[in-house]
Amino acid sequence: MRSQRNIYGLKSWALTGIVGLLVSLLNPVMAQQERVLIPAGSFHSILPEVKGEPISVDSFYIDKTAVTNEDFLQFLQENDSWQKDEIPSIFAAQNYLNHWEEASTPGLEAIGENRPVTHVSWFAANAYCSDKGGRLPSLNEWEYSAQLMDFDSMQEMNRFSTELIGWYSSVDAKNTKAVGSTGIQNRHGVQDQFGLIMEWVEDYKPIIADELSLDCGTVGRLQQLGNTYSYAASIRYITRMSFNPKTTTGMVGFRCAYNIEDQESAKNSEL
Amino acid sequence: MRTLFILSAFLLSSMSAAAQHHHGDSSMLKAEKVSDHSLYHLKAEWITHRNESVTLSQFKGEPVIVVMFYGNCTQVCPILIRDTWRLYNSIDESLRSSVNVLAVSFDRENDSPEVLKKYAEYEQLNIEGWHFVTAKEADIRSLAMMLGVQYAKKSDGEFAHSNLVSVLDTEGKVAVRVEGLNQPMTSAARKVENMLKHHTMQ
Repeated sequence: MRSQRNIYGLKSWALTGIVGLLVSLLNPVMAQQERVLIPAGSFHSILPEVKGEPISVDSFYIDKTAVTNEDFLQFLQENDSWQKDEIPSIFAAQNYLNHWEEASTPGLEAIGENRPVTHVSWFAANAYCSDKGGRLPSLNEWEYSAQLMDFDSMQEMNRFSTELIGWYSSVDAKNTKAVGSTGIQNRHGVQDQFGLIMEWVEDYKPIIADELSLDCGTVGRLQQLGNTYSYAASIRYITRMSFNPKTTTGMVGFRCAYNIEDQESAKNSEL
Repeated sequence: MRTLFILSAFLLSSMSAAAQHHHGDSSMLKAEKVSDHSLYHLKAEWITHRNESVTLSQFKGEPVIVVMFYGNCTQVCPILIRDTWRLYNSIDESLRSSVNVLAVSFDRENDSPEVLKKYAEYEQLNIEGWHFVTAKEADIRSLAMMLGVQYAKKSDGEFAHSNLVSVLDTEGKVAVRVEGLNQPMTSAARKVENMLKHHTMQ
């Protein structure tokens, strides 16, 4: 649209060229979501490898926010085979991108360009992150990052814990808010890991999943950690285990992670 | 193999001839469309122990036995690989040359093509049609998701994983799943033979 206008007597074709050049120059930066470095460390998982032992996590980069409708639309424009009317059923359930009107014109105003994209399968999320030179975060990376929150007091921590459980028991998939709107972030600035949507992770179904079922006893056993995060975490683990990689629901979106080496080499090649 | 090559060369040339004569014939396009449930949609590039690159779709017209394992696995994986061999070896010898085996390692760090070559030689399976492969992490995980294989790396470097031998039919769809170790392979072998008989009759 902008290129149609005739400013300062420039011919529109010249303007198109200039705008096009600017867009292509800026695009890698604009398209790239803000990424946050999470330093190596360890955390207590509700599914520890060895009971009582923390799980170590290497450092990695992760998107500050979940991938938005707008980000995902841009990916689809460059990758036809993942569009709503092209995607083979081996990669997604029927209601893939159900909230979009059309594959190419999803009606971004109505669905909200800054809202996280949902109704995406694990396969689509995985393909998106690969396309961006990244990958889905591993289950442990995601959980580790989510637990890196600072609380001023014990009271504050308990309040958060209660809120979290409330949120998990009533995720409002129809009225998802914009990314960054929850006010919840970890100490490195990663936003909305709670309170917005649930997110795909690379190995969302841990290997023990077959032995677990979605009953109260399982929740009880998972909940042995007994800290701020554990009850909500047990709900999250169990919900994730109930998915298959083609699942597309209004509750689940994703963000990407990046290996340190890949991120550094990408930076160097930009310079 | 040679007759297949001649046959496919003949098919290709007759197809292109047909395409020239019947421009825009939609039935032609339909025939070429990959099934919605085919694993050929996975556009992954697999690097073999011969340092060659293969894709699943290049096996179109032939069944592929797929197994996921890792080289440092000394307890379970030798059994899993031997199971795969038992299936392959149960297939009628005259048809075996049209059967491919893809043994995919989920240990990217250790199982380079060189290491996989040593593994294949050690297992005496460096034979035609067998491919011990590695790929990008996202592709390995995608294949595992498509097959229903779960794996997780443990802190000691070992992997916890499902034991599954699958067969993709001549269109790349999962047609056989043999779960668990030391399972009987006869019925799976018969299914593979039938795929090939049906395919050549068509």
